[in-house]
Amino acid sequence: MSTDDAILRLDRINTQYGAVQVHFDLSLAVPRGSIVCLLGGNASGKSTTMKVILGLVAPRSGRVLLGGEPVTGLPTPKIVRRGVASVPESRRLFGAMTVRENVLMGAYTRGDRGAVREDYERVLDLFPRLRERERQHAGTLSGGEQQMVAMARALMARPRLIVMDEPTMGLSPRHVDAVLDLIATINRQGVSIFMVEQNAAHALSIAHHGYVLQTGRIVLSGGARDLLHDPQIRDAYLGGARAA
Amino acid sequence: MGGLLSGAWIDHTVNGLIVGNIYALLAVGLALIFGVSHLINFAHGSVYMVGAYIGWACFRLLDAPLPVTLLAVAGGCALLGVAIERIGLRPLAGSARIAPLLATIGIGLVLDQLAQLAFTPDPRALPSPLPDWRIQIGGGTIGALDLLIAGVGVGSAALLYGFLRFTKLGWAVRATALDRDAAQQCGVDVNAVNRAVYAIASALGGVSGLLVGMYYNAIDPYMGFQAGLKGIVAQLIGGMGNVPGAIAGSLLLGLTESYGIALFGTSYRNLFAFVVMVLVLALRPNGLFSRARQTPPEPLTGTFVAPSRPVRIPGWLLWALGIAAAALPLAVQNAYVLQTLGNAWLYAVLALSLTLVAGTVGQISLGHAGLLAIGGYASALLALDAKLPVALAVPAAGVVTAVLGTLLVSPAFRLRGHYVSVATLGIGEIVALVILNWESVTRGPIGVVGIPPLSAFGTPLLSAPWVYWIPLAAVALVAQVQARLLGSHLGRTLRAIREDEVAARAYGVGLDRYKGLAFGVAGFAAGIAGALMAHVYSYINHETFHAPISVLALTMVILGGLGNVAGAILGAVALVGLPELFRAAAEYRMLIYGVTLLLLIRFRPQGLLGTV
Repeated sequence: MSTDDAILRLDRINTQYGAVQVHFDLSLAVPRGSIVCLLGGNASGKSTTMKVILGLVAPRSGRVLLGGEPVTGLPTPKIVRRGVASVPESRRLFGAMTVRENVLMGAYTRGDRGAVREDYERVLDLFPRLRERERQHAGTLSGGEQQMVAMARALMARPRLIVMDEPTMGLSPRHVDAVLDLIATINRQGVSIFMVEQNAAHALSIAHHGYVLQTGRIVLSGGARDLLHDPQIRDAYLGGARAA
Repeated sequence: MGGLLSGAWIDHTVNGLIVGNIYALLAVGLALIFGVSHLINFAHGSVYMVGAYIGWACFRLLDAPLPVTLLAVAGGCALLGVAIERIGLRPLAGSARIAPLLATIGIGLVLDQLAQLAFTPDPRALPSPLPDWRIQIGGGTIGALDLLIAGVGVGSAALLYGFLRFTKLGWAVRATALDRDAAQQCGVDVNAVNRAVYAIASALGGVSGLLVGMYYNAIDPYMGFQAGLKGIVAQLIGGMGNVPGAIAGSLLLGLTESYGIALFGTSYRNLFAFVVMVLVLALRPNGLFSRARQTPPEPLTGTFVAPSRPVRIPGWLLWALGIAAAALPLAVQNAYVLQTLGNAWLYAVLALSLTLVAGTVGQISLGHAGLLAIGGYASALLALDAKLPVALAVPAAGVVTAVLGTLLVSPAFRLRGHYVSVATLGIGEIVALVILNWESVTRGPIGVVGIPPLSAFGTPLLSAPWVYWIPLAAVALVAQVQARLLGSHLGRTLRAIREDEVAARAYGVGLDRYKGLAFGVAGFAAGIAGALMAHVYSYINHETFHAPISVLALTMVILGGLGNVAGAILGAVALVGLPELFRAAAEYRMLIYGVTLLLLIRFRPQGLLGTV
């Protein structure tokens, strides 16, 4: 198992909120070095998938494997220490802390101060806009800038995998392209990426592989290019009450 | 009276700043705790008291020098803080926000009682080991202890600033306060953060207690209650969870009190604090320094009503129990037993009143003792001074309490969650302080003596069976009214308000009117309970209905099941009747209440009979 070629694998996950079941035998895999997206409409269970991976919600049954090792039931900080960084839904920055503090919070689990400082410079090179805003409170930034802070924060952990919840949501078209480019760039540097998205066109334009989630079940999966041309996709990501 | 000489005013200002510094040590800790855990820590005052006693032990038993004592107090209280976090907060992480708040009240009660058992309730001297010199400034003076307090205040503020701004753990504290989930996703162990915050806050709180003890050269097991409330008030003024705001609020409160005392006299000291608190809550619930005027966001709301299926008691059983209760004096002749149970019935009326407000409408009131006090004083004074027959004075007191109580609580109608509890607690204190200070009517600290006993048609009903039957009749009456109310459309509306105020409002429910109605009915019941108590006890003063009674009433209600009419009666009998009957336990009664409250919240939040 430890030689799993997938950095992340969900194995028959069932999740429940009280009496409401969210996931039904959900299984998926993120191959090392790839971008995988999980598409789905509102209430399809996308965000809960993120929470299960990060240990914020415990599944009723099933396993979460990181590089072949089970992490199900571990507390979030432990999972983070195993190399998973996240870009949460609607950014979730620390609004009353400065941009610099926010980005450095990403390196919270690391002890190598010197390397952190170098990484910080490197990450800011990737987001030159943030260099001008270093001393500003993160809460005062525009949506696109906040998204950059969230991504920079995730990178600072030197993660093996970044999970992103709707990274393009609420961004202007210009920022959407910039963010997508950056995700592709980060991926080329060797970081695997798992993103959940509502906007299939955005996500599939950079992903290698995609899954479609509908009311808690995977209804379709395949190469990103194939999915992009699949007529069924439109039904699924628009909510898809009539399929399934 | 201080007069307007500048020297006296410098003294008042120095005194206000010193007292403000002491409040700041408390308020800063409370703000840190509120920041990371959204909890008002009612046990904080007890930590302060423990700090004073650790200091006393160091000075008196070990002859330790001041620096060692300061360190011992800080270290000991830090450990206590970690324990409070572990017992009171961590196990309740998944429950409604009000649950840990009630747990901290229970912990506070337990600590105060343990201190009282260990050190007796009597005050002890805590002489300052500092040299007794003073320097002249203008017309005023400053002493060595003043400088020490100022130094500790400023020093801790600087240390705290450095910690939050420059250390990794400090960053984690700020990040956790801003967004707990996001902090976890950065790898922050929020439990460790909580632990650190409780340790720091408690260390500061304990040092504050030590300094106060030295300042007044007196400590006692109950010193923490008022102090803890002051810390909360100071924090409210500055805005909950706002650390610099807490310091500013504390200094402001210290100065207000100091000048107020100079103008009106010492017995008014606490009144200022609570009036300021209610004003701030009503007008600027986010504190003086924030722009927004709306009540703070969701995490603070939520009732403690654990979902459960109430135990159904068949009608015949209720009748049978009722008849058995009524017939009891025929079988039991022991006057002590009857008086004790009569007292339990009186508390049952109080519990019925509270279960309506706290259970059905979800407004966890911590000021119900204030309603008792209004009822008790109203009836006693109507009977004594207005020469009203007791049979009329008691219902009249119920009406007075309904009107006055509702008016007093009305500023809290737009508040939710914790804020209701804090506001009602403050209102209860205001009632007690007004009674203490309004000497021309209430006879002030002397209290009201020679209150006529219960009577009907001019015949006094002094014998034990009557002291049992009349309260029992009140229980039957109030329970009957309340059961009808809950079964009606009105009961449903009140529960809707509890479940979701916003949704209820969206459906056109006028919140204020319904809350007013609930507090009116509850006020009438509590007023009658207080009135009957006054006539049974024949003597009352401003401390007869003190704040622990509010906590006791809440414990009864939670024990029986929030909103559960039969549960309220059961809770009262269990908590007032039983410990009194087992006399050996009398000394530990308050301790038992505190432990009961803690155990209930932790293991059976739905109570014995289930919530309704």
